[in-house]
Order: sequence, then C-alpha cells, then structure tokens
Amino acid sequence: MSDQYNQSRRRFLQLMAIAMASGASGLVNPISAQADTRTLLTRHIPSSNERIPVIGLGTSRTFNVGNDPQALDNVAEVMRHFFTAGGKMIDSSPMYGSSQPAIGYGLDKLGKAGDVFSADKVWTWDHATGPEQMEQSRRYWQVDNFDLMQVHNLVSWQEHLETLYTMKQQGKLRYVGITTSHGRRHEELEHVMKTQQLDFVQFSYNILDREVEARLLPLAKERGIAVIINRPFQRGDLIEELKGKPLPSWADTINCKSWPQLLLKFVVSHPAVTCTIPATTQVEHVKENMMACLSPLPSEAMRARMIDYVEKII
Amino acid sequence: MDSLLSYRLSDFILFSETAYYRQFELYNQAIWPLHIVAIVFALVILYTVWRSPGCAGRVVSAILVTSWLWVAWAFLYERFYQIHVVADWYALGFVLQAGLITRQGLIKNRLASIEKRTNRYIFSISMLCMAVCVYPFIAVISGRDWQQFEMFTLAPDPTAIATIAILLLYKAPRALYVIPIIWIAVSGLTLYAM
Repeated sequence: MSDQYNQSRRRFLQLMAIAMASGASGLVNPISAQADTRTLLTRHIPSSNERIPVIGLGTSRTFNVGNDPQALDNVAEVMRHFFTAGGKMIDSSPMYGSSQPAIGYGLDKLGKAGDVFSADKVWTWDHATGPEQMEQSRRYWQVDNFDLMQVHNLVSWQEHLETLYTMKQQGKLRYVGITTSHGRRHEELEHVMKTQQLDFVQFSYNILDREVEARLLPLAKERGIAVIINRPFQRGDLIEELKGKPLPSWADTINCKSWPQLLLKFVVSHPAVTCTIPATTQVEHVKENMMACLSPLPSEAMRARMIDYVEKII
Repeated sequence: MDSLLSYRLSDFILFSETAYYRQFELYNQAIWPLHIVAIVFALVILYTVWRSPGCAGRVVSAILVTSWLWVAWAFLYERFYQIHVVADWYALGFVLQAGLITRQGLIKNRLASIEKRTNRYIFSISMLCMAVCVYPFIAVISGRDWQQFEMFTLAPDPTAIATIAILLLYKAPRALYVIPIIWIAVSGLTLYAM
C-alpha cells in the first residue's frame, strides 16, 4: 500500500514537473490527454500575455465563395477541423469578397462565435466610412466584437488608427494592428511600428522571402508587437514549386511529413513571429497545416539548414 | 493613390478558379430554362446575318441590347459581385454598352448593311460562330463540369465576342467596340491571374 502510494506520488510529482516545465518554457500547451508527446505550439501576445496557437487560418480567396451552399458547407468543414485541431485565429478583410459572410456561416453552424480569435481589417480610403465598414464586417461574422482590427495594407492608416484606438478604449475591440503584404511599403510600415502603439502587425514572410528578418521582425520584438505572417506559401507558388521534390531526411526530426508543414514550421520558428495564417479550401490541407502547430520547432541551426536545402532544390 | 498603385493585378483577383466557375454553374441552374431563349436569339442572329432582311440591323441590335442588359444585371451584379468587389462597375460598363447600341443600332439604324464575301465577312462569321456555337462547349472541352457552360446572351465573354463579330460584320461605329474590347482584356487578364 505504501509502495503503491509512493509510486503514485512520484508519478504525480513527475507530471507536475513536466507541466511546470512546459508552462515555464512559455511555448507549449498540451494538445490532448492522449499519450502524445507532441504539444500545441502557442505564442503570447506581448501587449496582453494572452497565448494563441502559432497556426491560424487565412481566408483570402479561399473563403470567397458567394452564396454557393455546397462551398459554404465546405468552408464550415474546414473551420471545424481547424478548431478541432486547436486553432483559434481566423483572419479576413472586407477586400476578400464574400469571405466574411462565409466565416459567419461557419461560426454559426459550428457554434464557435465565442471561441474564435476574430481578426479582421478596415479597408477604405474614406476613413469616415471606416466604422460603418467595421460594423458591417462584425455583422457578417456574427460576433459580438472583434478581437483584433487591423488597418488593411496601410490604407489611410493615420485616420483609421485613431478610430481603432478609440474603439479599443471603448472595449469594442481588444487589439489594434496594421497590415501589408507581398513585401510592399516596408519603410512606411517600419515608421508606423516605431511611432504607434500597435498590438499586432501583419506582413509576408516565407522561407524564400526573408527581407523582414533584417528590420521588421527585430523591431516587432523590440517594440513588443505581435506578428502575424501572411503568405507563408507565397500564395501557393512555393507548394507548387516544391511539389514532387523530396523532403529532407531530417524533416522527420521536427515532425514534418510534408512540404507545407516544413514551410510553416520555418515561419513560426522565428522568435519574433506570433502566428501565421495559411489559407485553404480543403479539409485535408487544414489538417496538414495544423500538424505544423505541434512541437517541436526547428532550432536556429535547423532553420539555416532548411533555407539551404530549399534554395538548392528550387 | 500610392497605396492603390502598390496593388498588383493578382491582388484584385480574390477568388479561386473553382469559385469563379461555380458561379456559372449556380447561375445556369438558377436561370433555366432561359437558355432556350438564348438559343433562339443565337439562331435569329445567324439567320438575319445570312438572309439580311430589311429589319436585320434593328433586330440584331435589339438582341444585343437585351443581352448586354441581362448579363449586367443577372450575372455581373446579382452573381459575380458576390465574389468580386468590382463586378458592380463591370455591370455599369455593360449597361453603358447597351445604351450605346440602343442609340447607334436601334435609333440611328447604323447596323444596316453587311458586305458579304470579303475577308472581313469570313473572319466575322467565324468569330460569331465561335462565340455562339463553340463557346458553350469550352467548359466540357477544358475538363470542367458541363453545367459551367457559358452562352451568348447569358454570359459576358461569349456575349462580348459575338458583339465584336457583329460590329465587324456591320462595320459599326468605332465607339461601339470600346467596351467589348475592354471587357475581353479584363476577362482575359482575370483568367490569366486567377
């Protein structure tokens, strides 16, 4: 009885030690109660310390399906698998056609409006119409408030940021951000990051386009700004180019079974990156992408090896 | 303005190829049996071009006006606008073209005579037959679902191509070519960037 008690106690203390180590490392959360050694990778938002999974869900192109009932159900299914795998952040924009109503359809169907980390954008040159546009977006999503509202592609950013700060103060949103993509207007973005009180910034980064490593990513780290990475696959071009090419033998050591997983792990392993938002219309792809949200992450040396390998075969 | 210029063509194509062609499939399902009317229109145009009756110009113009207005409303505004944020502007362009054809073809009767047996005639007839008879089969030929077919009178591309062919046949005023040619360019770039 005493041995049994001591064994249980030892096991309990071991589990406590593992749990504490995981928590203290600040990187991982247990993904399930199963005997799976892999854990869900999360990063904290510097301005709040809230943790979010490193893989989110983008909606540009993929969720823009109009009122096609079959495609809307497919969107909901993609979202279901995303949430099941531990996903939280979904990102959209009024620029993405019918993507916002499609998200709203999915959230309503899945009953997940309260669970999603909702990230949207304001995209209008007429800043006076910004609040109206954001309210329309909120109605499309069918959420009470947005978690994150970003100025899309730096459009009228001075005026929109003022509006967003006010909305944040009023409790109508939790975080303020700004975005760009395709490596555009980085100098202006840098200026905004240096002069504004941003919670989030969003730009493009992938294994081949690494310009942001020089200035924007270190600046985000220094200023305590969370970073969302868009176009981790160069809008699919990288996947196309790598299709049929052999994965490196060492990919398995970081739990990568496919090119998308390797490309995502490269992006989210940069210490300044908070999350990335690959977009897809396919359930199999979202499941595959979410596997990249499981530990381990590649080390700095492994990241260099990944770059070297990909640059050689492309 | 700087921010507008920083966009590329592909940035404005924010829908997938699948979503684009599904719009035609859903549209065709929704408007059936209007395809019969489209077939009748196509046959009337081919007949009038062949026999050139006295009222041919006005009949052809009326069909073109109806087609451009229908495509503007039923496809571009009601359907395509759901996935493409600038499709309402496209619809406006189609309405404008309908207005121009009304003025030149219906009111002024500027599409009155055809000069047959010339190279221009052969080229125009070939183009018209392609738009009216071949275009609906492109979906199947390219391996897509047959329900995604595009017909003259109902879909923008074959309507624009057939219109250019008819304008060439009738040596129509140059102003009438502008919008169909712009549309072909816009649609071509869209398909290329998609």
